[in-house]
Amino acid sequence: MTLDILIAEDEPGILQSLDFILKREGWSIHSVTDGEAAVAKAKQLNPRIMVLDVMLPKISGFEVLKQLRLDEKTKNLPVLILTAKGQKQDRQQAKDLGANAFVSKPYANDDVIKTVRLLLNQGIS
Amino acid sequence: MRAPIGFRIRNQRKSLAISQASLARNIGISPSYLNLIEASKRDVGGLLLQKIAKSLELNIDQLTGEGEQRLIFAIGEAFADPVLSKAKLGANEARELVIQSPEVSSALVQLYRAYGDANASVDAFTNRLKADPLFSELLHQILSQVTAIRSSAEILEGVSDLSVKDRNRFLSSIGRESLLMSEVAQTLVAHFDQTTQNQKSITPTRELDDLIIEERNYFPLLEDASINLRQEIEEMGVFGEDALSKKLNKNYGVTIKLIKDNTEKLSSQSFYNKKTRQIQFSGSTRASTRIFQFARLYAQLSVSELISSQVDDARLTLDFSKKLAFSYLSAYLAGAIIFPYEQILNDAKKSNYDIDYLGQKYTASFEQVAHRLVTLRRKGDEGIAFGFLRSDPAGRLTKHFPLPGLLLPNSGHACPLWAIYSAFRTNSSLVRQTVRFADGSRYLFIAKATANRLTNFKDPPFFSSVMMACEIIDAKKTVYASGLDLDDIKNDVLVGPSCRLCTLNNCAHRQEEALYPI
Repeated sequence: MTLDILIAEDEPGILQSLDFILKREGWSIHSVTDGEAAVAKAKQLNPRIMVLDVMLPKISGFEVLKQLRLDEKTKNLPVLILTAKGQKQDRQQAKDLGANAFVSKPYANDDVIKTVRLLLNQGIS
Repeated sequence: MRAPIGFRIRNQRKSLAISQASLARNIGISPSYLNLIEASKRDVGGLLLQKIAKSLELNIDQLTGEGEQRLIFAIGEAFADPVLSKAKLGANEARELVIQSPEVSSALVQLYRAYGDANASVDAFTNRLKADPLFSELLHQILSQVTAIRSSAEILEGVSDLSVKDRNRFLSSIGRESLLMSEVAQTLVAHFDQTTQNQKSITPTRELDDLIIEERNYFPLLEDASINLRQEIEEMGVFGEDALSKKLNKNYGVTIKLIKDNTEKLSSQSFYNKKTRQIQFSGSTRASTRIFQFARLYAQLSVSELISSQVDDARLTLDFSKKLAFSYLSAYLAGAIIFPYEQILNDAKKSNYDIDYLGQKYTASFEQVAHRLVTLRRKGDEGIAFGFLRSDPAGRLTKHFPLPGLLLPNSGHACPLWAIYSAFRTNSSLVRQTVRFADGSRYLFIAKATANRLTNFKDPPFFSSVMMACEIIDAKKTVYASGLDLDDIKNDVLVGPSCRLCTLNNCAHRQEEALYPI
């Protein structure tokens, strides 16, 4: 069974690295670069995990999360939010909207990998 | 808060080895009365003070200690700040400090002002950083670029079997993101530079205040210029709105537009468009405002270089101070044109400084007349020395010109008992009160609150209260003493400058703890 992971990130440098490190773990990586595409792709793909940046073009990561939680198909999708370090309000808002995990930028690659693993394990259990 | 004039008279008299009887004879009063003055038990001012100053070879400022008193007051303000209040500098100690070390005191005040400005800058920066969308965006970009660089570097360092293609890809990413980050950093620095420049606008008001106080709010070159300008305007007829508008049109092609409906909305009462040379007035302006704005525009268009030369003063170190000063001095000149010095001084004396009467005679507002009376300080040809204060309805002081002896708070709030605040409750009626400070000094305060323009339901009026203050000894020359027993101190309202600086005990109106131990 393929483990599909959807990344919503508009910064090419970050997207390139995330794509590389998560593929090396054996997961199947799909990516989008704006909020609207993130919602559409999540509904279409039904991924196991979504890695979601807060600052996205068109609609923000928060709005994406809100829409995912309102849709029957995606309401339980585990979402890892990428936030800016020190932005406590962002974290609280994401938590209130139903985010499952957070990683602060600038992060170590291992932090992302470990958190995705954790979410996958929770999903399996 | 009165300066110890009596103490200074006695000291100077003794240092010149003049006996009390001899000085009393020279100035035409009895030795016992001089004794009372020296003991600060009698007020002294006007001609008598001038005679004493002349006999003691001092100028009035030295005798009244105006500058010194200002410094004492400023030291008091500084030590009222929580950051210094643990030092517990009492009123007498502040006075001693200023008398013994005036330069150190002055430096201390400068330092405190710089501290206050720095604090205001920090507040402004904090608010700006919280709310500034550009800063937020730049911060986000930097974090994203750092994240991309860090992540790529970790891959380059940690993945041993990285292909040449991937290696080049991540090296290229690091190069690209580093370049972008440099650009963002430059934008950020430029943004901070801009912010810092903007924040300097906190101090220019103070710089201008200091200059006005040092010049005693009297600018002789502008007074001289006003005579010619007035004569030029009067070539078009009797001085007034009509003559002013005709002169502006004839000399400078200025046209006037009165906006009486809601189709065009002005952000202020008047606006001058330099390109079209049109001055626009809101339909709500009063004649006094239009006359004043015409006079100011005529002054600026006619003697701009003269005003600029006055602004080019070493005491104004910031560009924005100069801009403020240009605006202030233009308004000063407008006042001098509308109220020619000798004429307004004579009318003021004849009418016993009846501000409302003078307002009618000159088609001027209460504030315009009050402001002009404060500037009648030509040496040897002076009017009564008045202090001037203006407050908004929230109690904030928005304009002030101090009076020797009575130092008015620079900013913030004054004593809540002052007439300037009770005037807001009296529906444009003039409020007068005799006040007494803890040191025994007494003044007459008169105040009036006015709506500065006509209005309608959706356009709320702009209220302000203007207060004039003069010493009790001068109050007798004003119409406002009528019906008051100025010699009976039982009628005085006991006041302070502000709660922090007030030493009155058991004041039910106290809102803040006193700085000095009571």
